[in-house]
Amino acid sequence: MTPLVARVANVAIGEPQRRAVADGSRRIDYATLWAEACAFARYLRSAGLAPGDRVATILTNSIEAIVACYGCWIAGCVIVPLNAQARRWDFEPWLRHCEARCVIHEAGNSDAAMALDAIEAPLLRIVTDAGSLLPAATWAELMRVEHPCEIARAESATLAMILYTSGTTGAPKGVMLSHGNLAANIDSIIAYLGLGRDDSIVSVLPFYYSYGASVLHTHLAVGAFLVIESNLVFPHLMVETMARERVSGFSGVPSTFLLLLNRVPLADYDLSSLRYLTQAGGAMAPATARRLHEAMPQAELYIMYGQTEATARLTWLPPARREEKSGSVGIPVPGVEIVVRREDGQAADAFEVGDVHARGPNVMPGYWRDPQATASVLVDGWLRTGDMGHLDDEGFLYLSGRRSDMIKTGAHRVHPKDVEEVIAELPAIAEVAVIGIDDDTLGQVIKAFIVLVDNASLTINQIKAHCRDHLAAYKIPKQIEFVDTLPKTASGKIRRAQLTATIGPREVS
Amino acid sequence: MDATNAIKKFVLENYLFTDDDSALANGDSLIRKGIVDSTGMLELISHLEDTYAIKVENAEMIPANFDSIDTIGAFVASKRAS
Repeated sequence: MTPLVARVANVAIGEPQRRAVADGSRRIDYATLWAEACAFARYLRSAGLAPGDRVATILTNSIEAIVACYGCWIAGCVIVPLNAQARRWDFEPWLRHCEARCVIHEAGNSDAAMALDAIEAPLLRIVTDAGSLLPAATWAELMRVEHPCEIARAESATLAMILYTSGTTGAPKGVMLSHGNLAANIDSIIAYLGLGRDDSIVSVLPFYYSYGASVLHTHLAVGAFLVIESNLVFPHLMVETMARERVSGFSGVPSTFLLLLNRVPLADYDLSSLRYLTQAGGAMAPATARRLHEAMPQAELYIMYGQTEATARLTWLPPARREEKSGSVGIPVPGVEIVVRREDGQAADAFEVGDVHARGPNVMPGYWRDPQATASVLVDGWLRTGDMGHLDDEGFLYLSGRRSDMIKTGAHRVHPKDVEEVIAELPAIAEVAVIGIDDDTLGQVIKAFIVLVDNASLTINQIKAHCRDHLAAYKIPKQIEFVDTLPKTASGKIRRAQLTATIGPREVS
Repeated sequence: MDATNAIKKFVLENYLFTDDDSALANGDSLIRKGIVDSTGMLELISHLEDTYAIKVENAEMIPANFDSIDTIGAFVASKRAS
């Protein structure tokens, strides 16, 4: 097992001037990236951090986020990239749960600052500003040190990263990923995409999500070039960057590609350098795939499937089989096994729908300090993905829904309970249920059904304003409907699936 | 109500769900603060086109024109004047 950090070191030594990352007008080569990561590792060590200590980052995609990650690994620490769009009510439980010894956040992130103020345990707080991880004088001093960069030893099972997948409700769920998990999955992805050092990619997916992290690390591991685009608010600007930089790759979720197809006159741009497009995070409608192919005929489209618990990727659909296997998420990535099981645990026949299980070196060792949650998804070495689906007679996987209620909106995953708990804090609310409803662009949008306390009054905007104060923007319901009752099972559990069908609207946003 | 104030009222009502003027400073970044996402920006531009009878060209959809109430107000004023 060659840890990711050693691979970046190899590129930096072999080809120091090779371009590594562009972030706005800033560009760094591999020698600079490596030197900065080593400098940051020295800083962490001098501050008393030891191997295994958790370093949390609350950073948008930036050179600093990358330097912090690799600096952590050089020092033997565990990186905990937190969702930078989250709010203080998310950060606080995450930081307590992972017992972060160091937290890095951007100046001006008042939610991060407030969360840190509330934590009594001593921790090293680093506030980044103006494109530097540390104050200029400290940074200059660290960069002047010339002795060799000492990389902490990492075994395959050594913990590398914790990714939190749920928000405010209950116990935070932190997916542990080892250096071996990351190395194995990165190797698989590099192999099927055929990535090499002459590749380059525009990256818009957040590094704190497993998909964005895999895009980042696969490209750095082979010495490729990564161009950071901070957001998709102006999609044509991102396409301009793709054309200007002559990138060979682009990664997105279904809504990203729809945004490009529907909002940007792609024919106006020279995108002939694109060799591969990757898509995960939900099925792509065959019509969308065809439109993409027409817009960028030379680019191969890779449909992929995975989850954070499996580092990132579990399956990929070879582009040559895409038309023939339309609707499939493909075959297992190298090293991974997929089985579909019946309720009794027996393997299902071909074309028989059941629970999708996965096994491989990329599957997490468990959730951080949560053996109960771990035991519920890791059984006899197999990961229960929570997804339903079937295999065809050639072993291609087709998904057909999830057992859980998780909502997929754009590139985000939202647990309904996170939103319900926040709305339920309002005194006028008697009951609330949150579901995802189909949306042409985002896949799903969030809808809340509200039962008010008798004689209480509350406006939709009051509910949304409360959500904005307490939730990340992407978790605010797009639609709110007031209802008299919620449909329930005999045991009192809300029947989410019936909500849209059985309840007539009284007031809809 | 001048255009800048009207635009601010629209943003407050539709993205911050409030009529509290102090919830947003005219110079605050709508993008960095996560107030307007890609869908929201499209809605905002469509609202400006309908309300002020202007046509926003692709080349004009850049942060310099749409990052804050002040820059949007200035952009709309320049479009109406031209």
